[in-house]
Order: sequence, then structure tokens, then C-alpha cells
Amino acid sequence: MNLVSGKQLSREDARAKLGGLQETILDSLCNGVLERGAVVAACDALSGQIGGDEQVSLLCAAGMSEEKAKRELALARRMLSREYLEERVRRELGDTGEKEFVPSDGKEAVRQVRRPLGVLLHIAAGNADALSVFSVIEGLLSENINILKLPGGGDTFSEMILLELIRLEPRIADRVFVFDFPSADREALERLGECADAVVVWGGDAAVAEVRKRVKPDTAIIEWGHKIGFAYVSGKSVPEDALFGLAAHICDTNQLLCSSCQGIYVDTGSFDEVQAFAERFLGVLEACAARDPLPNDLFRSAQIGLELYTEELESAEAQKAVFRGGNVAAIAYGDSELTVSYQYRTVWVKPLPREKIVRILKPNKNHLQTAALLCGPESEAELTGALACAGVVRITRGDNMSFSYCGMPHDGEFPLARYTRIVSFETGARRST
Amino acid sequence: MTNLSKLFFARNPYKTKSTEAFLEAVRENVRFQQTHCPAYAKILAQRGFSPEELQSEADLFKIPPLPTLYFKRNRLLSVPQSECVLTAASSGTRGQKSFVAFDRKTMFYGIGMAVRFFQYYHLITPIPAHYVVLGYEPSGHADMGAIKTAYGVTKFAPALSRTYALRDAGGTYEPNMDDVVRSLERHAKSGFPVRLVGFPPLLYFLVRELERRGVQFRLARGSKILLGGGWKRFGGEAAGREALFSMAEHALGIPRKDMFEFFSAVEHPLAYMRCKNGRFHVPAYARALVRDPATLQPVQNGEPGLLNLITPLVSSMPLVSVMTDDIAIVRPGEDCGCGSESPCFELLGRAGVRGIKTCAAGAAERAQGGGI
Repeated sequence: MNLVSGKQLSREDARAKLGGLQETILDSLCNGVLERGAVVAACDALSGQIGGDEQVSLLCAAGMSEEKAKRELALARRMLSREYLEERVRRELGDTGEKEFVPSDGKEAVRQVRRPLGVLLHIAAGNADALSVFSVIEGLLSENINILKLPGGGDTFSEMILLELIRLEPRIADRVFVFDFPSADREALERLGECADAVVVWGGDAAVAEVRKRVKPDTAIIEWGHKIGFAYVSGKSVPEDALFGLAAHICDTNQLLCSSCQGIYVDTGSFDEVQAFAERFLGVLEACAARDPLPNDLFRSAQIGLELYTEELESAEAQKAVFRGGNVAAIAYGDSELTVSYQYRTVWVKPLPREKIVRILKPNKNHLQTAALLCGPESEAELTGALACAGVVRITRGDNMSFSYCGMPHDGEFPLARYTRIVSFETGARRST
Repeated sequence: MTNLSKLFFARNPYKTKSTEAFLEAVRENVRFQQTHCPAYAKILAQRGFSPEELQSEADLFKIPPLPTLYFKRNRLLSVPQSECVLTAASSGTRGQKSFVAFDRKTMFYGIGMAVRFFQYYHLITPIPAHYVVLGYEPSGHADMGAIKTAYGVTKFAPALSRTYALRDAGGTYEPNMDDVVRSLERHAKSGFPVRLVGFPPLLYFLVRELERRGVQFRLARGSKILLGGGWKRFGGEAAGREALFSMAEHALGIPRKDMFEFFSAVEHPLAYMRCKNGRFHVPAYARALVRDPATLQPVQNGEPGLLNLITPLVSSMPLVSVMTDDIAIVRPGEDCGCGSESPCFELLGRAGVRGIKTCAAGAAERAQGGGI
């Protein structure tokens, strides 16, 4: 979909508009910002439309279970509601009141005000449904003008939601421009980049690196790259229900999310203990998976079957052991490297004595995201400190790894804050001397 | 005559004089790998397999197959590296490459096999031809098996010239379609046949380019198209394949009967010819099994699973039983209906997760697969 000033255009027509895009955007900027309240009202109205049977069927047709489809729609409904958005703005942007003050070392009173960056170019990725529109809504909430480059293959949910938002609040039409140029069309992307104060890029390291190469130094880059999550288990007395919560999370997300648990570190240097834990966890994972079976898929099973078999063959020479269950597996390794798992309920288990946490994890800078911490209360402060020092930005229980709450930082930062700048100006009042 | 000579030098690659030769050659090969490659010996011990168990063809499935993924992560050799005369790598479309190394003995039987195989299809001829390689130009910085295979194919008829669709630009490759089109213009007037050799997607780009330019050639009689490699962008569908052949016939003037398609793998360096019904028939010096991905047990004929190919060709590495990442169905030859009696397989796609949506760092590159 290509959308310029509220009109849907063919890709050719959209391309023809590129030359005048800067002028169109400047016109829109000169007309003033679209105040946040109007965006919140439109989102709230949209929220009220979410959750119908037709939408559940749509998600089920895309491969989701009915229970999950309902859960996802309820989440979307909540995230677009007025209460949620207003709380989010409060938490992310703080006190937006424009209070005047005289700095302790200054002579004149000043006001510091958050203002939008101006124009954001969102380069969306196709790895999550409706990611594009959520990125644009964050841009609108921070009162920016938004250019959206859709992911290859489009983003049907985002396109539908954007059109509905414009119907609900027609002034959004001048604040959202959508293009579906392929990523290989570098000239078009560079033209879009020239119109933007900042490029918001979603995607893996390759996508981020490509944007870094293409964007000019006068344009900021805001990166929401791919991340990795894991669990850390310390102590022999970790209760079964905590492990069950972690296993349920693994089955629910199939280890596909940035926050998903790829593997489990055990607070030990002993491979025997790692193997014993892997065997124990396999039982829990298998019980969990039996309650929430994966649909059959020969191609996926073949991929994972080959990977597990290769691991088994390699265990003839290397320190590793594969524990297989029905459609689940736990692989014990002797090394401590943080890696992505084979996903779809195949978890790695590795040794990581607590004193090595920072040394081992720190090299994964900017890739670390969520860590589930399963330990006794006596170790909590020490382990939380070590994980945060290594770069982990979210520490949770096992079952909560992918649970989000209102005002939760995204990868350690507040998006709305990143999409704004603080303008300081003197108000004219002078300190009395 | 050795077992290998009986197998690989037979005039008809689908028939052997001795039915025992294959089993004996496989048994000899497994024994050789076991005694010359310690890592392979450990794997056989781990899986509880001994070559003595190979009493009949029905026992072949017991040889632990090594997946291509294993060769991407481990290098195994059964002869000193210095005895290897050819090394090659897979194309590494998912970021990992297999490296293989072949010694003189392997090359001797391999070249003999290739000559016999392509003679059987009348593709080896003394009439010279111009070659358009729909692939990479050979270069010191690239060791992909596909480059070496394509270059080898340009020896089937004496080469008058070779033009490459992907030109070596010193460390990287750049598209060279303008040169390819210009050379086709020249070759069409030369009166000599033209052979287009390489990857299907590049043939697609070429014929689309010719269509865009409004150019249509009538290449000399005897011109051929010889394809091998991925059909991923066409979804592996027979309709897509035939549509491409039809476009190529229109653009180049080469009749469908002169278009050939092969299946091969760097870890299993044999050629399989696609028959008119879209299946690959297995020559007498190989066997194809299909295994259940979870249990690795062979499945019944006609059921889909992972394709496991067996051949005693390679002596320098334990490539005797290789598990590809292709999903396939094996059938008896007579079920195909193309006239060949040799067993055949059809490819359904590559192992992998189709349409995966993940933001876990490093995951998407690993998991993608799907169509052929």
C-alpha cells in the first residue's frame, strides 16, 4: 500500500510523488502538530472495535490458536485504549507540564519542553504482525510526522488499522505517509531518509547495518534491533512450578520473540549438573507441550530433526548431550556461549557460574534483552546486579518473560522519549540579586 | 574389474552387470572410512553400527547417515589433505557452507561416471559450442562446487567461448546481463550451437530481460539449456518450471526437448536427471531412502520425509550415506510412467520453517527454508 495525504496510490504514482514529498511534509509541519489528545481519541475509538469474532477468525486463518488470537486481540485492545496510552505517556515522557524555573547557576528563568523530533521514517520489519502501525502510533503519540516504509510482502494488519485510524481522525492523513518500495530501491529510501529527522529501524543486524550505511550523518538512527532472552537458574531447590512457568512461556512463544527464552544457564561449572538439569527440565517441557501441542509441519519437524540429529552425532566428540521428548528437546552443552536456540521448544542448557556472568555475557552488548531469574531470595540481589551489569534490560519470573505492562521500556529505553527532543527557552524572568 | 569400475563405468548408468557390486562397494567404503577417519569411527560406535551388518540391500538404512548440516560444522577427511586434488564448498545460501575434498581415486571414478552419464543423454559431443554460464565466473576467491560443476559442464562440447552472467569483480561478483545479451546476439549469427548452463533463477532473469528488450533469438540447432540448483523463487511448482521453459523456448528458440535439469549436492557429487514427469531417477551406483525426521527410520515408498542418498563414490571423506535437507518422496521406477525402471524421487522442498516471524537475534537466518 502507498498512502500520500490520505490517498492510496500505485507504487509508480507514489514514486512520482517522491520529488515533492519534502515540500508536502514541510506544509504539514507548518500547519502545526497534531496534538496527542486527538491521536489518543482515535486510538481509543479503534480499541473499541477490536476483539470481534471476525478478527479472531482472521488471526486463526493466519495460523494462531483461538485462545491465543483472543489473547492477542485483548492485548491490542488494551494497548490502544485511552487509559493505557495516557498512562504510557505519563511514564515515558514524565511530567509534561511546562514549569518555569531558574537554574541554580543561571540568571534567567527557563522552561524545558518536550517537542517532537519532527519527521520520523519508520523502516518496518515483517517479523511481527502489525509492527508497522504500532511504530507509527508511537510516532503520532510523540506528535511527529511519520513516513512508513512497509516491510517486503506488506503488512496487511497495519494497512487496515492505519486506514481506520485516518477514517476516525482525518487529520492523521497529513501526518502519515506510507510507501511499499522494496528495500533494494536504495534511491527511494535515500529520498525518504532526506525528509526525516530520524530513521526508526526495525529488524536484524543486517537491516540495521544497511540503514547505518545509507543514512546521512545529519539524520539520527533509532534502532530496534533483534534481541535475545534466556533464563538463569541457581540453587537446587528451584520449585517445579517456577520451571513449569518457564516451560509454559517457551511453548507459548515457541522461542520466536526477542524476549523468549532461548536457553537456560545453570549456576554451576559442572557438566554433570547441567545434564541433570536438562533431563529434569525436559520432563517439565514435555508435560507443558502436551497441553499446548504444535500443529504438525513436516518442513519444521525436518529442520529440527536434522539439527538435533547433528547435535547427537557431534556428541560423539564434543561435550554435549541431547535429551529428546515428544516434539521437545533439551540440549546440554559444556560451553557457556549465548546462542539462539533451534526454537519451537528446543532449549539449550549451559553452565554459567555466577562469578562469570558479566565476563561471558558482556560481549553480547546490545543484543541482551530479557532474563528470567529462578533462584532463592538470598541470591537475588547479587544475580540481578550481575545480569544488569552484563547488559540485560529486563529481569522477570520464568512465566513472565514475554509479558508486557503499560509503560514498560522497550529494549531498555522509552520510545516516546526517543522520538522527542527537549527544547529549553528563556522566559524573560530574572533571578533577583 | 573392481566393484567401483563395474558401477561407475557402465554404459547405462541405470543398469549394472553385477547386483552384488553396489553392496560390496558400500561395505568396503564404510570399512575404509571407519579405519581412516577417527571421528567417523566414533560416530559408528556411538550409533552401534558395524559394516558387517550390511548383509543385503535391506540393511543399507542401518548406515548412520551424516546430514549436510554436519559437514557444514565439521570437517572430516579419510585421506591426508595433501592427497586431495579438488576442494569445493556448497553455495551456503543459509550462511553456512559444507567443505568437501576429493582425492585422485574419487576424481577418477567421478569423471568416468560423469562422462558415462552425460554420454547416455547425448550431451557430450565433438561439435563445438558457445557457452553462456548462468552462474559465477571461476575465480581464486570462490570455491563453490557449483562454479566447478558449471565449468566442468562447459567441457562436454569443445568451448568456443564462455560468457558469465555473474562476472568476477575481484572479491565480489557483479551482474553481467548486458554482456550475456550481446554475446547471444553474436552467437545467434555464428551458426554454432549455444549451451546455457547454470541456475534456474538466472535463466529467468535472462529471459525476462530479453522480453523487456523485445529481443527474440533463434539459436542454432543443437543448442541446449542445462540447469541445476535452486527453484526456490518458483515455489518448486512444476507449473512454474514449465512456464520458465516455455518462456525460454520463446526467447531463445531452443526446443523443450533440449532443456535438461539436474539435481546434485556438493556432499553427494552425483548427477540426477529430471525426467519428463519431474522426478529424479536413481542411477545404479546410488540408492535413495526417505526417513522420518523424528525417528530417522525409513518410511514407506510414497511417504514424504528427509532424503538420504547413498553411494560408494567418494573415498576421501565419509560421504557414503548423506542426509540432505530436502523433503522428498521415493517411488519405484515403474510408478513414474516416464519409461525408466529405476527408482525415483521427487523433491517437495527444503527443511525449514516457512514464513517464520521472529525477532530473536540470529534466528531468522538459521530457520528459513521451505520451497525448492
